Amino acid sequence: MLSRVANYIYWLARYLERAENISRLIDVNAQLAIDMQSLPGESAPAGWEPLLRVTADEGRFAKFYPEPTARNILNYMIFERRNPNSLYSCIHQARENARCIREALSGETWEQINRLYLRIFHENYDDLARIGESEFINRTRSSILLFYGIFDSMIPRKEGWFFFEVGRYLERADYTSRLIDVKYFTLLPESDQVGSALDLIQWASVLRSCSAFEAFRKNRRGLLTPSRVTDYLILDEFFPHSIRYSIIQAEENLRRISQDSDHHFSNPPVRALGRLRADLDYALIKDIVAGGLHEYLDSLQLKIADIHQAIIETYIDYPLENAPIRG
Amino acid sequence: MPDLIQSYTIDQFFDEMFASADTPRPHYQALFERFRTMDRAELLQKQIIADQAFLRRGVTFTVYSDDQGTERIFPFDLIPRIIPHEEWELLERGLTQRMVALNLFLQDLYHDQKIVKEGIVPREMVQTSRHFRPEMIGFHPPRDRYVHINGTDLIRDPSGQYQVLEDNLRTPSGVSYVLENRQVLKRVFPNLIGAHPVRPVEQYCYDLLDTLLYLAPEHVPEPNVVLLTPGVYNSAYFEHTFLARQMGVEIVEGSDLIVRDDRVYVRTTRGLSPVHVIYRRIDDDFLDPTVFRKDSLLGVPGLVNAYRKGNVALCNPIGTGVADDKAMYYYIPAVIKFYLGEEPILPNVETYLSTTPRDLAFILENLEKLVVKSVNEAGGYGMLIGPHATKAEVEDFRGKIKANPRNFIAQPVIGLSTCPAVCEERIEPRHIDLRPYILNGESVKIMPGGLTRVALRKGSLVVNSSQGGGSKDTWVLASPAEPVPTETSEAIV
Repeated sequence: MLSRVANYIYWLARYLERAENISRLIDVNAQLAIDMQSLPGESAPAGWEPLLRVTADEGRFAKFYPEPTARNILNYMIFERRNPNSLYSCIHQARENARCIREALSGETWEQINRLYLRIFHENYDDLARIGESEFINRTRSSILLFYGIFDSMIPRKEGWFFFEVGRYLERADYTSRLIDVKYFTLLPESDQVGSALDLIQWASVLRSCSAFEAFRKNRRGLLTPSRVTDYLILDEFFPHSIRYSIIQAEENLRRISQDSDHHFSNPPVRALGRLRADLDYALIKDIVAGGLHEYLDSLQLKIADIHQAIIETYIDYPLENAPIRG
Repeated sequence: MPDLIQSYTIDQFFDEMFASADTPRPHYQALFERFRTMDRAELLQKQIIADQAFLRRGVTFTVYSDDQGTERIFPFDLIPRIIPHEEWELLERGLTQRMVALNLFLQDLYHDQKIVKEGIVPREMVQTSRHFRPEMIGFHPPRDRYVHINGTDLIRDPSGQYQVLEDNLRTPSGVSYVLENRQVLKRVFPNLIGAHPVRPVEQYCYDLLDTLLYLAPEHVPEPNVVLLTPGVYNSAYFEHTFLARQMGVEIVEGSDLIVRDDRVYVRTTRGLSPVHVIYRRIDDDFLDPTVFRKDSLLGVPGLVNAYRKGNVALCNPIGTGVADDKAMYYYIPAVIKFYLGEEPILPNVETYLSTTPRDLAFILENLEKLVVKSVNEAGGYGMLIGPHATKAEVEDFRGKIKANPRNFIAQPVIGLSTCPAVCEERIEPRHIDLRPYILNGESVKIMPGGLTRVALRKGSLVVNSSQGGGSKDTWVLASPAEPVPTETSEAIV
């Protein structure tokens, strides 16, 4: 496969995953804001501001908007063209990447992402206000999920698919780690609130932000404590949004690309991803918390960034002078 | 019921549908009946369905004048243009003849130049052509094909006679619209198209791929064909991806290609993979910064040498453009006679060359009545339409022509034929032309149909999309006597 095509597919996947994550985050927060209103007397953290921290956007937001009102934040996170992480920007980028490889996608796949883009291109905050955040976001999310469905049923399980999966799961692992990092510290319990109604709602919302609430309930049962929730989101082997699961998937797909057999690592990204996966396989949440959760997540994000860089240097933007000739 | 077509008036032009004010030509009878019984709401509904289909399929070009990056569809007119089979046979013969002669002409220009030596085409005209490439003299491109694709623009004069307006020999664009128009029309009017023996156009992409594969070096068992695009910001990018997808070939940008030891390779995830044929949608000037424009970022350093060594084929070859120079056009009827000993089946439009003193004097005296074209411009740019121009524009052109006569030709204003088109309130006549696509591979092949462009502004004779033009589906009807496939027979088989 052409390096350029692999690159576009990889970024298409990353931007779509990012769009989906942002939309879920907004949706959960909208629900949360409503729940909080019903808890008089509780010391509620400011409704929408923490969202900016998940996407590390507080500085940029302040440049464009005077006040962190719900309206401004929603506008910034959903429609703002100058925000490279807004829902609009992610969908726009995903679509631009798809446009550059139209010939590598099926017609239906392209039509779906194009439809997704054309709709948000013509929408603004008034449309959102008219139908409500949840309804608006759900529509967009459904449209993204429909894209995945079409893509899944149309794309041959060859290199293009593997690059898509690698991009999607690396992005997901990165997002989940950022979400936990931010939420953990905004929500770190003050002693009198542990087990309170507010605490429960908050931690439930963290899980919901990763579509993990029901899965957690079914598989882990018991209390929603910070360490149990973070354990599930970082180290669970089976839950599709956990960091470990995402890394396992990214590794499997990268190994399909490198065509390495078991226990063989032919190039830097496979080696780095294998090391991270093994690390997660053997980790225990109590050790992670003892060593500092924030430090752990920080170093995890750096490793993911290194893996990304290694993939680019191995498959996409390698030096031409000594490149092997095949065929 | 309101009759949208009732007030249709025919002028002094040839009308495709109507022989006289209320008599449709026989091959348009069924179409006429269908549109006559349609009311405005239904027509509008159909138009919305069609427009949305184009938008969703991304059959768009981007308007960069505003920073919104607005995407527009190329306006599509719902009423198809029909060409009966006898007419099409004539066109096929004429276009084949022209293609064969153009190939012989180019071969001669890059080798013996007999036609120059015999004084049919002035040496000056060849040497001053911006697209003549003296570097390629003596070079034999693969299979001695000097031109692979011609998008010949045809018009019909008021008597209905088809005439050649210009040749487009350098990978002409527009064919993707022909194929998309048909797809959309089939959805919008399935029964209408089913009621006619319309010849399918889908074959084109296979034929194009065959044409390209025919050029590959003979010893290569499985040649690798790629489409070289200037990139996603090119206005024809949609077409590039469309053709690549339909042919199942990779689309590449210059930066994906590398030349090593006079061989061309493409960068893949597993190293470098050889390339044998390049269908390029960039001009000669930008192909190779080591030979042509030094500042080109679109091209591939070393490509021209690889081409000269016969390790890679280019479609079109380097230097083809000398034959579609708008001044060279003047000589094509003589070219046909010279090489084939035949009269041109499709005549040129009457043309005045400002390089000859007599024509120059005539042009300068009659600027207000003529169409003046700059020989190196396309897309309706660099043009003066005398009768519609202001005094200042006329004087501006007068100065330019005097300063550089080689750069201009002039033609009388030709009353292009009209065809009914869906307008604001009703169906009205609008001017059209036709661009069929002629492939010159192992044999000459012509897609049955072509791009019918329509000037949607009332009274306008300029069909270019940059000047308010749109397009129509073009139906070539099968002969009742011959069993050629049609859109309906294909569905049954």
